[in-house]
Amino acid sequence: MLLAGGNADDNSSPLRRVMADRVSTGSVILKFLRRLGVSLLSVGLAFALTMLLQPLFPYPFLFLFFGAVMASAWFGGTAGGLLAVLLSTIIVDYFFVPPVHSFSISTTAEAYLFAFVACALAASWISSAKKKSEVALQEALDNLEVRVSERSAELFKTQTELAHLSQVLSMGELTASIAHEINQPLTAVVTHGHACLEWLSADPPNLDKTRQTIERIILDGTRAGATISRVRALFKKEAPVKDWLDVNEVVHELTIFLRDEAIRRGILVQTDLVPGLPKIKADRVQLQQVLLNLIMNGMDAMDDVANHRKELVISARVEDANLVVRVVDSGKGLDGQTAEKIFTPFFTTKPHGIGLGLSLSRSIVEAHEGRLWASPRASGGTSFQFTLPIHPRDSDG
Amino acid sequence: MAETRETIFVVDDDPSVRDAISNLLESVGMRAKVFASTEAFWKAPRPDGPSCLVLDVRLPGASGLEFQEMLIKKKVSIPIIFVTAHGDVPMTSRAMKAGAIEFLMKPFQKDELLMAVRHGLDRDRIRREQEAELSALKVKIGQLSDREREVMDLVVTGLINKEIGAKLGLSEVTIKIYRSRVMQKMEAASLADLVRMADRLNPRA
Repeated sequence: MLLAGGNADDNSSPLRRVMADRVSTGSVILKFLRRLGVSLLSVGLAFALTMLLQPLFPYPFLFLFFGAVMASAWFGGTAGGLLAVLLSTIIVDYFFVPPVHSFSISTTAEAYLFAFVACALAASWISSAKKKSEVALQEALDNLEVRVSERSAELFKTQTELAHLSQVLSMGELTASIAHEINQPLTAVVTHGHACLEWLSADPPNLDKTRQTIERIILDGTRAGATISRVRALFKKEAPVKDWLDVNEVVHELTIFLRDEAIRRGILVQTDLVPGLPKIKADRVQLQQVLLNLIMNGMDAMDDVANHRKELVISARVEDANLVVRVVDSGKGLDGQTAEKIFTPFFTTKPHGIGLGLSLSRSIVEAHEGRLWASPRASGGTSFQFTLPIHPRDSDG
Repeated sequence: MAETRETIFVVDDDPSVRDAISNLLESVGMRAKVFASTEAFWKAPRPDGPSCLVLDVRLPGASGLEFQEMLIKKKVSIPIIFVTAHGDVPMTSRAMKAGAIEFLMKPFQKDELLMAVRHGLDRDRIRREQEAELSALKVKIGQLSDREREVMDLVVTGLINKEIGAKLGLSEVTIKIYRSRVMQKMEAASLADLVRMADRLNPRA
């Protein structure tokens, strides 16, 4: 059967389509029958129980029918509910409303039956409405769950990006390899230089060897230059991609990312942001890099401070025509001499620092036409701030 | 002494650095042999004569430090001068503890390298001389007869001829003859000289 499957499949495909059609009509019918069944069953059950219990009561005992209507509306929807109301009314009219065992209604019982029908309709409506809202609630819940997981995935992505960023920021490996690449030809140049002096001071001076050595010096010097050009090209590739950014959002994302780190170090990170700040045109990754660097510096500055409330405040304000972002720590602060040097490349106060973070940050801010500087706080600690110009949005597409 | 020429081996994976080192050594009249890897150095024949090794720390494959350990394990004693662009204290102390002559940071100055190289060559020369002396002594002691050997062993412990004679059951005169033959064969100028030779042959802990 399996071997002949290919052909058999082709022959049977129209038949399958017909069957599929039947199934879809069938499912509608089935659904209707199920609703009808629910209504019939619940009304029948109510009728049977009522017949059993009626002898105990001196007046018509009709409450179970309301239950049947509500059940039908719950499981069978509005249609099921209405069907149950119809069935109940017929049964009540025939068996319980005088004259009993007839569909005719006495004038005294008219109002009674009408009240029953009204109540049954109300019960049906309430029940189906309740069911509908329940379903809607469930749907909303499901939606919410989907959105939460989407958002988590997004956050995770941002976190991964930031982790990568911080790796780039530390740049240990990169600097080591650049240093090695430049140090090698430099070593050769210095060594050849010494050899050159030796060849010249021989008696008589060995001019052939001197010339050869100088030629090698030129080659090695050129090689060091080429390495530097390559490094420069590497950084050039990452040209800023400027977009309209909400600084509040960038700060918020970073604080989420750094929450664990701050808790680990016992630091309280606070944000002081004004809602509705004008958007600025900047490279998101570079702005994150600057902020991350300032925040990490602030945290590092507070590491050595004991018996002290460790607090880092990140604020953003509009001042004149600029957006001013401040990262303020309650750390050990900077003395005048250090404050002057911190923006110099390769200057660092950290035992394992490279001394590039702040100089890199400053060049990023300056590439955004802003300024980055540090100022001491009277209460101890340091405030790092940078400005970003606010451009009118229509001036730049 | 008919000394074979000194050789300085240079192992650095960077061609310009090893050429430069070789050029500098050549300019002061030294002979350098350069290799791109420790493997190439290990496989190459090493001329007899005082030598030392200028070794880069960062190398493809086994690092300079690992190669140093391997040489020690294989009992190849060649003085090593390390050069590196990025040494740190643990690295330096590891190399020095294992017997390195010097640990130089690139770029280094001429005198730093030349002094280290000369120091290395001196150390190797002394080691070679001591080894040569020892093997000559071994040849000489091999020429002694069993009786002469016995006499020598007792002489160097400080016994006089009479005591030795008593111990070996021989006359004092016979011992005297044996003793002068020992002095002759060992080419010892004095008793003190003979004691020193015995010490060299059987170093006491």
